[in-house]
Amino acid sequence: MHNGTDTDTQVETLAIAASGEEIRRACAWLAAALRQRDVPDPRVEHLELALHEVLANVLAHGGSAARAEPIGICIEVRQKATTGEARVEVRDAGLPFDPTGAPEHAPARTLAEAPLGGWGLPLIRRCSDWMSYRRDGGRNHLVFGARWPKL
Amino acid sequence: MSISHTDVGDNLRKIVILGRLDLEGTKSVAGELETLAAAPKKGVVVDVSSLKFLASLGIRALLKSAQAVAARGGRMVLVVGTNAQVVMSLEATGVSNLLPMFESNAEAERAAVA
Repeated sequence: MHNGTDTDTQVETLAIAASGEEIRRACAWLAAALRQRDVPDPRVEHLELALHEVLANVLAHGGSAARAEPIGICIEVRQKATTGEARVEVRDAGLPFDPTGAPEHAPARTLAEAPLGGWGLPLIRRCSDWMSYRRDGGRNHLVFGARWPKL
Repeated sequence: MSISHTDVGDNLRKIVILGRLDLEGTKSVAGELETLAAAPKKGVVVDVSSLKFLASLGIRALLKSAQAVAARGGRMVLVVGTNAQVVMSLEATGVSNLLPMFESNAEAERAAVA
């Protein structure tokens, strides 16, 4: 849809079941949709990885409620004259979890003491330019995205 | 998703992983990676330079194997080539400080058996 003279905004949605195969489908869908809207490749790769980690986290920690209802994903791409912006929203019915305030474990000093988990959050943070969270209507609403300048 | 290996002499095993180390991909190769890395070789080189995707679960699988190799006195290193996405995943998680990464196979092989 077009929104104003200098901004082109396009929205697309997908609902998936909570499973590994569906996560792969969602990642492929996201990457294709972003590339189709001229989002630069490095941003596409980062947002695809961030989405994967968010969905894997829902699957692993969201509990039975997360697996009982579809997970909603909405992407919005805004192309302005000088900048572009892609926003991804994930809605799930799992246990409340706010990744924006969750602590990361301290960096391991040696291989032997490295934990075998907790790597998703650093990836989500590294791959997103921003992230916000709210709990509404019994669902987690996590929004993250990326911005890029246009030459 | 595929995983293969080559033994170079008595001391070195080279493992190549291709495809996506996402949730599904990792599930399909993690067991074999552990088995291959458990071989009594001094050095293990894992080539991840052609991976299309490296998620947290893939990193976990690599770390777990590296810890097992280290626990028996060996050393596991990675070949990342010029794969910026793989390097980003390893750096973002700090795993690049724990698992040595090399651009080339030759460097990685030397480091693994040093």
